[in-house]
Amino acid sequence: MKLEDSHISLAHGNGGRFMRELIDEVFARHLSNDTLDTNADSVALSLPGERIMFTTDGFTVQPLEFPGGSIGSLAVHGTTNDLAVAGADPLFLSLNAFIEEGVEVALLERIVADLGRAATETGVRVAAGDTKVLPRGQGGGIYLATTGIGVYRHPGVLAMNEIRAGDVMLVSGPIGDHGIAVMLAREQFGLRGDIRSDAASVLPLTRALRAVPGVRFMRDPTRGGLVSVAHEIARATGLEITLDEPSIPVRPAVTTVCDMLGYDPFYLACEGRVVAVVAPDAAAEALRAWKALPGGGDASVIGEMRALVHGGRVLLKTELGGLRILEELEDDPLPRIC
Amino acid sequence: MSPKAADWLERIRALDLPRKVRIMNVCGGHERSISKAGLRNVLPDTVELIPGPGCPVCVCPEEDIYQAIQWATNEDLTLATFGDMLRVPVNLRKNEIRSLEQAKAAGADVVPVASPQEAVALARARPERRVVFFAAGFETTTAPVAAMMAQGVPENLFLLLSGRRTWPAVSLLLNAGEVGFDALIAPGHVATVMGPEEWECVATDHEMPVAIAGFDSDSLLAAIHSVLRQVQEGAPLLDNCYTLAVQPGGNPVARRLLADVMEIADANWRGIGEIPASGFVLRPEYAAHDARKALPVEEGEARRRMGEMPAGCECASVVLGRIYPAQCRIYGAPCTPRNPVGPCMVSDEGACRIWWSNGRRARVEQEAG
Repeated sequence: MKLEDSHISLAHGNGGRFMRELIDEVFARHLSNDTLDTNADSVALSLPGERIMFTTDGFTVQPLEFPGGSIGSLAVHGTTNDLAVAGADPLFLSLNAFIEEGVEVALLERIVADLGRAATETGVRVAAGDTKVLPRGQGGGIYLATTGIGVYRHPGVLAMNEIRAGDVMLVSGPIGDHGIAVMLAREQFGLRGDIRSDAASVLPLTRALRAVPGVRFMRDPTRGGLVSVAHEIARATGLEITLDEPSIPVRPAVTTVCDMLGYDPFYLACEGRVVAVVAPDAAAEALRAWKALPGGGDASVIGEMRALVHGGRVLLKTELGGLRILEELEDDPLPRIC
Repeated sequence: MSPKAADWLERIRALDLPRKVRIMNVCGGHERSISKAGLRNVLPDTVELIPGPGCPVCVCPEEDIYQAIQWATNEDLTLATFGDMLRVPVNLRKNEIRSLEQAKAAGADVVPVASPQEAVALARARPERRVVFFAAGFETTTAPVAAMMAQGVPENLFLLLSGRRTWPAVSLLLNAGEVGFDALIAPGHVATVMGPEEWECVATDHEMPVAIAGFDSDSLLAAIHSVLRQVQEGAPLLDNCYTLAVQPGGNPVARRLLADVMEIADANWRGIGEIPASGFVLRPEYAAHDARKALPVEEGEARRRMGEMPAGCECASVVLGRIYPAQCRIYGAPCTPRNPVGPCMVSDEGACRIWWSNGRRARVEQEAG
């Protein structure tokens, strides 16, 4: 049975029959698993392992659907990727959905189905959830929040303070795809392109590095992109990071859009890439491990850490051998006019 | 690695230059490419690259921005403009609305657009509402605006035009008592539209080496090499190093549209003053769509006297290439992209913003001369 209404109304948030139908027919139908019990106030989780990892994230992307994903798949990948790069296997998610009055049920269905698919692919179960309906004009269509629980599985310690001078930085694939795909999907600039978001689970990537000794730290370069991750590391370690421009994978179409609108791809969000810092003698093996994975073909060693008196900087060695300081993102870049 | 750029670099390094050569560029796109590729620190010490008047946002007169803010705030209309213009401050006290962005935050209907077509679409979508399209730009941006007008626009669309011509500003610099540069990199996009011929007199009348460049390192280094060779040989000429796009006579369609829709007039440049024959204004046939004629206008002169640059701001000297961005007394403190005092720190085409975004954070003392 499917929900009979075509659009979400305030009645779907009133705690009564409409809400029960929404939960049963949309959410439970796509997300059902042996832990989820829509009638219980809370559920018991059995967690194999001693080091339980816990994280949370909110999702407000516009538009709600874009080439390569939707707010639904993003709500799974965003949270499970944060667990994955911290060395965990994600196991359970909670889901909060804030739905605006007037949202098409068909759209909500697609998004929840997308979320369910992403959860299954990532091997994570939605164990608890809540829905709220907001009056028209008080929400961006659909906002989602997910909280994730996982179990630490990395054989060594992953932490920024494990990073040493001489370590190298790797990225698992081309950067900036998500940022540009979402921007093009907004159709704000009258540009079209076939760039798909890289939104995906990074679990295969982070798992692959468990067999590689010398992995110090991993992070997924989401908001603020590659440069923001580099700055977080530089600030925490006091090391100078030099990125090698020709080694950083960027798709030509992403470069083209960036050139037209005055964006810098190094600051654009990814949703399915991993930046890893590894010991210099581990770089080749880490790279091999990533390149062997589907979608890992463009993985690349992109930079190195150095101890300097004036540490904490991020530099870019350009194609011609010039050096450019990559500063922290100041504000949203404005499109250029000529 | 691009072998062509590397090759040009080798050739430049192999030149035996008799003295230091100061090369001015007059395009924000060039300055951006130079800064992003880090060209300044791979070129020999004898080559100096100076950013000149290359940012249409930076030279847009203060009174035009003020006018746009007034309309957006006081009239019931939609104000559409290129994204760069939103954050450019005007000279008012801190508790007043000093930019279109602040007007937007205060509830004004200000919409950033990336093309004239978007402004037309806005007007078509709401025929009952007036839309003012505030269009600042050089020839490259003004030509599409002319095309928009020539195609016919909805009745409810009005144009606040701040179009400027590049060449008259360069001419002003060349005719100044002391010329602060030895060679010129001419703007590739402007030459694509207007033709390379505009730049010939740099070589013929001013005996200054000049080369037209595109926007990648290959083309820029080819042009830099060209003007350095010209200095070495003592034989200035106009070299076209962007033949892919720049054809003799430019783009005839674009030039005809500009001529059909607009007239050339003397125009005010922020911080610089009036430059003869440097601006575009709508022809009288388009008066019904000229916001300056169709909408109530603030009294110009008083506004213009208080206009110019904010206190302490040296954008005018930066725009004219007389000082480097980092030599401005307020570069980095208090003027930053987050809290811009002058226009050069706002636009992606502005030299200060470009330098800041590429990591030049320290102010340097001005050198004598």
